[in-house]
Amino acid sequence: MIPRFALARPASLAEAFDAWDATDGDASWYAGGTEILQVMKMGLARFGTMIDLKRIPELRGISLAAGDGALVIGGSVTHREIEVSQDVARELPGLVALEAHVANIRVRNQGTLGGNLCFAEPHSDPATFLLACDARVRLQGRGGTRDVAIDQFITGPLETAREADELLTAVIIPPARSGEGRAYEKAKFRERPAVSVAIRLRVQGGAIAEAYVSVGSLTDIPVLVPDVAAAFVGAQADAAAGTFGEALAQARARLGHLDAIGDLDGSPDFKRHLAGVVLGRAAIAALSEAAARA
Amino acid sequence: MPETIDITLSVNGLAHELAVQANVTIADLLRLELGLTGAKISCDMQVCGACTVLVDGLAVSGCTYLAVDADGREVATVEGLATDGVLNPLQQAFIDHAAFQCGYCTPGMLMSATALLAENPRPSRAEVIAGIDGNICRCTGYLPIIDAVLQAAEAGAQR
Ligand code: FES
Ligand code: FES
Repeated sequence: MIPRFALARPASLAEAFDAWDATDGDASWYAGGTEILQVMKMGLARFGTMIDLKRIPELRGISLAAGDGALVIGGSVTHREIEVSQDVARELPGLVALEAHVANIRVRNQGTLGGNLCFAEPHSDPATFLLACDARVRLQGRGGTRDVAIDQFITGPLETAREADELLTAVIIPPARSGEGRAYEKAKFRERPAVSVAIRLRVQGGAIAEAYVSVGSLTDIPVLVPDVAAAFVGAQADAAAGTFGEALAQARARLGHLDAIGDLDGSPDFKRHLAGVVLGRAAIAALSEAAARA
Repeated sequence: MPETIDITLSVNGLAHELAVQANVTIADLLRLELGLTGAKISCDMQVCGACTVLVDGLAVSGCTYLAVDADGREVATVEGLATDGVLNPLQQAFIDHAAFQCGYCTPGMLMSATALLAENPRPSRAEVIAGIDGNICRCTGYLPIIDAVLQAAEAGAQR
């Protein structure tokens, strides 16, 4: 049973902050509720007031930023809405592929990207991918608005840089540059991934000029692994090429040094091995997107 | 103690005006207040799908969806599938294929499949598998369920 609480249903951001101020801080925002209601049901958290964010138009919608064309996803947009968005399919197809496999269809219909990031579960799918994509979140409070890069936002397992009275209003993902590809792959045995790997690479003149790799579910927060990424730089941008195969082998060897955490999904060794397997798939998927954006 | 909240919702086409506590889930509202026990609680963790109901056509986990969040919306449960005691083609297909044994997962399976077929009336086998991916069955091994959903799609296409 979910412990009792009072409900506030603001219809605008201004009303949301008023609702917060009307409490003594014993409150929590919620949208889909797929994470927070579960935690409350398990007796791990309780709040005097829950503030529903689903009626706030400012948190809805997916758009492209006027200036640089960055993808802007509202804080209460659901996983399913992202999965079927034409804008996201065009700008960041890897996110559509990711969202199509988050948990199950019911969680995707209910749960939001913003809520997923704020919960900061170490096995979050989107956090790992957005980290490699150099995304940032927009936080708004009474005092104003600030943008925080994903790697600064997630500060620990189930911990973020968001103040309790701040709202995540949007997730902002920079546009793909020419020759850039971004992909995410995972292995999972249960609802959440056992390992998650994302890669962003940029191809120039037939070779990989730049690479970023992030891993999640292996560590207590998703992390960038620059030494793994560096292995790809200089390799031919062709999955069949010898230099690419060598780069991938080198990257996998370096992943082997990652300080991974064993859990119900497997031992550290097993999870590092799995990460290497899905890294290969992600790199090949990123290469094909890069070729399409050449 | 927090007060109740007045909500209006329709369940299987019937309008209800109710005063509910904010912490009550839609599954508990349906089962305990409205006597609709089709949606089952099993894992209570959004994993098994036994509690699946549709809200405005979208499948949700009744065990972890607040009744107040259905305010102003249309809820569909397994009790609404048959008309005047006549099973709909999906329900009939489950019988034809012996797609249940204990039957505990069946209301959830039927509702997930209902949402799938509404969105995609002629799904491929792979699409059916993806559509019921979040519904767990301990008895059947899934194959009869997949066949039943495909048969219902076929029947729907012929009507
Ligand atoms: S009881 Fe709700 S998903 Fe299992
Ligand atoms: S018929 Fe028994 S769980 Fe599916």
